[in-house]
Amino acid sequence: MDRFDTLLAHATSRRRLLGGIGIGSAAAFAGPGLAETLANLALPGGPSERPITNAFPGKGSMILQRIHPPLLETPIEVFDQDVFTPNDRFFVRWHWAEIPTSIDATTYRLTVRGHVARQLSISLEELLRLPRVEMAAVNQCSGNSRGLFEPRVPGAQWRHGAMGNAKWLGVRLRDLLDLAGIKPGAVTVRFGALDQPVVAGAPDFGKSLGIDHARDGDVMIAFGMNGEQLPLLNGFPIRLIVPGWYSTYWVKMLNDIEVLPGPDDEYWMAKAYKVPATPGANVAPGAKNYPAVPISRMVPRSWITSLSEDQTIAFEAAIPLGGIAMGGDAGVARVDVSADGGHTWYKSVLGPDQGKYSFRRWDARVPLPRRGRVALMSRCTSTSGVTQPMKPIWNPGGFMRANVETTHIIAA
Amino acid sequence: MTTPSFGTLSFGIVGLAALVLVAIGPPGPRPVRTDPVAASPPPGVSAGGFTISSTSVDLPIDDGVYPDGPHADVINANCTSCHSASMALTQPRLSAEQWMAIVKKMRETYKAPVVETDVPAIAAYLTAMSGRLGRGSLDDASGHTSSQPAGKDVTG
Repeated sequence: MDRFDTLLAHATSRRRLLGGIGIGSAAAFAGPGLAETLANLALPGGPSERPITNAFPGKGSMILQRIHPPLLETPIEVFDQDVFTPNDRFFVRWHWAEIPTSIDATTYRLTVRGHVARQLSISLEELLRLPRVEMAAVNQCSGNSRGLFEPRVPGAQWRHGAMGNAKWLGVRLRDLLDLAGIKPGAVTVRFGALDQPVVAGAPDFGKSLGIDHARDGDVMIAFGMNGEQLPLLNGFPIRLIVPGWYSTYWVKMLNDIEVLPGPDDEYWMAKAYKVPATPGANVAPGAKNYPAVPISRMVPRSWITSLSEDQTIAFEAAIPLGGIAMGGDAGVARVDVSADGGHTWYKSVLGPDQGKYSFRRWDARVPLPRRGRVALMSRCTSTSGVTQPMKPIWNPGGFMRANVETTHIIAA
Repeated sequence: MTTPSFGTLSFGIVGLAALVLVAIGPPGPRPVRTDPVAASPPPGVSAGGFTISSTSVDLPIDDGVYPDGPHADVINANCTSCHSASMALTQPRLSAEQWMAIVKKMRETYKAPVVETDVPAIAAYLTAMSGRLGRGSLDDASGHTSSQPAGKDVTG
């Protein structure tokens, strides 16, 4: 598409947005006219309705959680089509509203500075000339599925679509750090980006990794996503990829890498995105004064994607069931399914292995116990031997939900 | 940290000019050549078989406001520039204490330019709006009767 077409497309999509939003009774979203399509996220206690929007650049149909700054959720049916999430359906999440909308690839620079022998200012062309790696990896928001926490907690009220899986193409972070020459005594590497708070004095977004993690050879700086450059809303032109870790670390529009001789004590590491230092990050609702640590590794999860909540199907003795799974910081060893509330489990057949950090397809046949409402479940076990628990966790941030999820269907 | 160069803006301006020209239409009955300058690709960098092209987008603007209610004027004056109203309006039913904690966090941690005397009115608006959840006036609310603890962690 050339610039002219792009401008036309924007003009058109802008009109579509303004005419298309308007959320029935909840009135949470602006705009005149009736909503064209609403998604029902079925969050306990509501509100559950969100508009479906096509108004964002580089994005197709997405669940609109917030226009400004954008929060866009991927509809669950997208995950049934492929283990790789298309770039135009990949979820979007920004903290601060000052997001650059025009980026010149010819003048962009990535700085490597701090506790290093040589400060670097790297152009994108120089980055493209470094040795390349490609890796499939799931990018999942720390608060994915927060809207299902009970008791409910404040924050972005996602269902399961604050996640996606892509083939990331880029360079190893280790190679860049080696070019700069890390000085003895380096402890932490902090990553900064172009997005900025609207108001002065608010904490600029930045995240850190320990020096050994940063140099493990898996952490990478990606310029390619499923064979294309990144959509601007997913962090164009480059973002950090931290395989197996929650996406809060996957800093978008990365332009600054700072090696520190001590821990990162700034807000986004020291105060935000912390979880209870308890098994499964679980505490009793209302618990206070528990030790907390920065969120880190992901844990196994799985979802049924071939059938949706409250879908009616014709009764059969056994039905096909399919979905996706992730092992968290490990591969997917097995996925089992149940149609009787978790009493009886049946093994599924796993699809092709795209690498341990990728989504993995699973398919099974499960006997239906009876006609009527049936609770279907899937349960992933990772290659490190961790199995999804039946019971949901709770913490006040709404982070790390990973229990066995239930999809109810009606077998008529 | 720096802002990006504005080099790509020139391409936006060229494209905009093309858009205006087309909108105006040809000046006379004679057919006009239409090989617009905008057809040239945006500047970018290439190496090793991969190209990164400069990118310029328009993000939708949210002109949504908080619905009418006591102190709606206060919240609309204070809480629409940093984030959409929908951020608050899609929250579950939260207690007065939870809303007060959230408003204080916005002001004290995230430096929202809210005068302290407006804080009670904003929290009161949000509590009243939130309280309508579960009374059938918003969509599928069924309501929680359990007491909910104040969320003190930052959510993301």
